[in-house]
Amino acid sequence: MASVLITALLATACGGGGASVPGPAVVTFPISALGAEGRVLVRQLSRFMAENPGIRVVQRVTPDAADQKHQLYVQWLNAGASDPDILQLDVIWTPEFAAAGWILPLNQFRPDTSAFFPSTIVANRWQDSLYALPWFIDVGMLYWRTDLMSAPPATFADLVRATRQAKRAGGPRYGFVWQGARYEGLVVNFLEYLGGHGGRILDGGRVVVNSPEGLRALNEMRDQIYRHGVVPPAVLTWHEEESRFAFQNGEAAFMRNWPYPVPLMQDSSQSRVAGKFAVAPMPAAPGGSPTSAIGGAQLAINRRTEHPEAAWAVINYLTQPEQMRERARVVGQFPTRLGVYDDPDLASGLAIPPAMVRRIIEYAVPRPVTPVYTQLSEILQIHLHRALTRQSEPAAALAGAQAEMQRLLNRVGLGTGEPIARR
Amino acid sequence: MPAAERPSGIEQQEARIAWGLVLPALLTILLVALFPLLWTVWESLHLHDLRMPWLGQPFVGIDNYLEAFRQPRFWGALGHTLFFAVTSVGLELVIGLWLALALNRAFRGRGLVRAAVLVPWAIPTVVSALLWRFMFEGQHGIVNSALVALGVLSEPIVWFIQPAAAWVPIILADVWKTTPFVALLLLAGLQNIDVSLYEAARIDGASAWRQFRHVTLPLLKPAILVALIFRTLDAFRVFDLIYALTGGGPGTSTEPIALYTFNVLLQNLQFGYGSALSVIVFLVTFSLALVYIRFLGAELTGSKR
Repeated sequence: MASVLITALLATACGGGGASVPGPAVVTFPISALGAEGRVLVRQLSRFMAENPGIRVVQRVTPDAADQKHQLYVQWLNAGASDPDILQLDVIWTPEFAAAGWILPLNQFRPDTSAFFPSTIVANRWQDSLYALPWFIDVGMLYWRTDLMSAPPATFADLVRATRQAKRAGGPRYGFVWQGARYEGLVVNFLEYLGGHGGRILDGGRVVVNSPEGLRALNEMRDQIYRHGVVPPAVLTWHEEESRFAFQNGEAAFMRNWPYPVPLMQDSSQSRVAGKFAVAPMPAAPGGSPTSAIGGAQLAINRRTEHPEAAWAVINYLTQPEQMRERARVVGQFPTRLGVYDDPDLASGLAIPPAMVRRIIEYAVPRPVTPVYTQLSEILQIHLHRALTRQSEPAAALAGAQAEMQRLLNRVGLGTGEPIARR
Repeated sequence: MPAAERPSGIEQQEARIAWGLVLPALLTILLVALFPLLWTVWESLHLHDLRMPWLGQPFVGIDNYLEAFRQPRFWGALGHTLFFAVTSVGLELVIGLWLALALNRAFRGRGLVRAAVLVPWAIPTVVSALLWRFMFEGQHGIVNSALVALGVLSEPIVWFIQPAAAWVPIILADVWKTTPFVALLLLAGLQNIDVSLYEAARIDGASAWRQFRHVTLPLLKPAILVALIFRTLDAFRVFDLIYALTGGGPGTSTEPIALYTFNVLLQNLQFGYGSALSVIVFLVTFSLALVYIRFLGAELTGSKR
């Protein structure tokens, strides 16, 4: 189980904490960050405490894997625990936790939402209230090899052509690598192909993935694997790291991934593509626009907290431009505030030109904002994986996924126009 | 018979003492086995979704069971479990028996070989699963390279994206890991067979095959049954091996019932529906055990005359 870790810094700063005087409000903060990321956070929190002597922040260690962290949170919150006070959420959890009544609406603290990328705010709203503040944002990006071509492909057709050209010139054996194992990452990758063809998964309470656009997107993914030979079939067992290894070893001309590989792949001691790659928005088909899925971390407040004001003060501090700049500089995470991108300092911190980052983020779309997202995603994962491993036809897969997803929405009372179905 | 009265009084007293001695154990079993079971049954009659507290926890009768029976994924998982149990246990019995017969012979270094055979069994399942995954993974893995070099395959295949191919590492890994266990059980049985029976058979002019068929097999039956019970019940609850090897994929084509239940219960936190699945799994394994005990139990304990 999670143990309470009071960092050495805190211990020295507080000297054991005075018990007689009305002690500082203690807020707990679950973190899983290791290495440089963890160190930045500790530094920022100790600065915060120096500026706010009335608040002590205690860290709780949680598992790093999203699924495990989610399970732990659900168990805590279901039991009505007031601890931890602050929660670091994956972007797809906010509506779930909000609908369950586990986190506090943030409107009462009047956050300046207009300063953030609109898409990150949309992802954190549920029923007209904001429930979490975006801390840093991850987006899907197209990594391309600058030594093999002069410009990144703008369309899927360009990508196929560029791969063939690179191959003819004795380039890498793989064209495009992404994440196609049966897990959340598959839905993320599909969402980007789907947006690139102008389709969507959910429209309010209606599932709309079984559309001509959806079919074109899924066919495109399948064709790139089996017909064009651009995507190796092995991606259907790959997660982020497997694709990074392939690209980093110089085995692929293109990769779809989050921003985290950039600093790793620029390290020439472990990467064969250091200085030979750049990032661009995802390709799109005619009729669609480049689409990046949103990931990243949000900060929210446990509804049962005894110190909502103190918790908000922590969140507010951590999401200030100064803190975001520091995170960007040290661990390369993208700020969620638009204004930070105008800061000339950011360019020296980020490994990617801030203008390009900003452009990609502007193409970003949240995954369906619904409390049952994870369940919808599981259904979609199974049907997509069956279609991509040729166990079913794309049209049948999308029809099956849509029917099951709609049935789930209706059953839990989130489908549009239909009464809550009797079970 | 007045003399018989007193021993019966002692017997009664002894029975009371016996009950008194057994009671703590019985209560413990009640507490750790029966209570959770009944609780699970009770849960399974409710809609209880930890992630959707706004739905409440209404009593829904047998709806969760009906839902399971309506799900193709449930029937698929049941079928995969059955397929896995029959294939892996069958192979393990045959190979295990062969191994036991070989190990039963006297040869130099027999002790060492017996110990070495147990190595796969000693490796934790997850570790051996990852080992096999590593060998089969990728288009340039060990297995692909070997099969292409031997000319069995014309080009490397991605094992984990084809339903039929994905079963190969699963079955191989299980057979590799548990055959030693079966072999050891059977070896113990073989060593209980009186050598003079073989001598008698030889004097009667029985061939090696007839000796095996009419002396070894009948006398080995209790050991075979023990191995069969352990392995079938284990195979029916298979989880960690497949979880680590294929995750149930591609799609859900290698997903066993335990993995499906795990996903529902612990990933999706659907306690009502997940409990219904658990109860179904319990009923299936329990009836399997009953069948074994009913029809084979007598021979197993040797109580049949």
